[in-house]
Amino acid sequence: MRVAFVGKGGAGKSVVAGTFCRMLARTTSRGVVAIDSDPLPGLAFSLGVPSTDTQLPQDLVEKVGDDPASRWQLRPGMTVLEAVERYTLEAPDGVRFLQFGKLRGHVVAVGPSQQAFRVIVRELAETDLHLVGDLPGGTRQPFLGWIGFAEMVVVVAEATPSSMLSARRLARLADADGGRQVVAVANKTADPGDANVLQRFSGLRVVGEVPRDPAVGAAERAGVSLLDLAPTSPAAEAVSSLVDSLTDAMTKETS
Amino acid sequence: MKIAVVGKGGAGKTTTAAVLARTLARAGHRVVALDCDTNPNLGLSLGLGLDTTEALISLRDKVGDDVGHARSWNEIVARFGADAPDGVRLAVVSKIEDPDYGCP
Repeated sequence: MRVAFVGKGGAGKSVVAGTFCRMLARTTSRGVVAIDSDPLPGLAFSLGVPSTDTQLPQDLVEKVGDDPASRWQLRPGMTVLEAVERYTLEAPDGVRFLQFGKLRGHVVAVGPSQQAFRVIVRELAETDLHLVGDLPGGTRQPFLGWIGFAEMVVVVAEATPSSMLSARRLARLADADGGRQVVAVANKTADPGDANVLQRFSGLRVVGEVPRDPAVGAAERAGVSLLDLAPTSPAAEAVSSLVDSLTDAMTKETS
Repeated sequence: MKIAVVGKGGAGKTTTAAVLARTLARAGHRVVALDCDTNPNLGLSLGLGLDTTEALISLRDKVGDDVGHARSWNEIVARFGADAPDGVRLAVVSKIEDPDYGCP
């Protein structure tokens, strides 16, 4: 499966995506690549990877022609699977962690390293590996070239007005972008009606629900993965069952 | 005084900005609250409610058809803003034309 997690800042994308990657890896024989395209740190912590700032080597890609609009490609002799093997970090449960690179100045310089990230993500979509993306927060960035790999967009949202307003905007944008299934996960639910409230407001099918859980805050404060701090916590269990829910949702769509 | 509130998603930028704006207004200052977020929710935190917050955002889409562009910042705030509680004037100014790939 190739899924992209989006949502308002603070909705819990990284925690859900990181935990989801590891639970998915435990249930599948195929590899899982965690794609971190958020220029602010988050996914590394929720996966339990020590480094929060890796960059792909500049010579991994080369430009095809001098036209600025021309596409980049992996250097001759390099395959996408070898690039993943060599240049991504190994996270717990065998997840491979691919990172866009973090902010170093006022803007992210779009150099060869960043182009390599794009090329690898593009080519990974043609492999049988599972891809799980943690996309930048908010509504603008996800649709600026980050989401192309995904066959399903998962909007992570709380049942609060601002989070649901963002979810509704994301649903519209995803719809306008076209070609992908869009579903929602209700996060930090505190009331049995929360998932319904989100479903009604956003117009999205809510395929999973993760309860408000102090273990999530504790893991975030400690800078460790929820699965390493509290593997049997309600939130961890809920994300675990999300693996089945998303697989089901995807099967329904394609069958 | 001109204050910009920044931070990571979920850190509490919008709530902080809204409380600052209303607190300053209550102390007698004239306050303009600018929502510069590309996912603008400041109206909610100021207490404007969902409908007004949404209306402020969709207003931008109308510019160019029968609604003319504003010529200055003052005009943007006056014509396209909304009155929030405590006398705060809110304007949503987050629209960026043709943002570049990787632009934060």
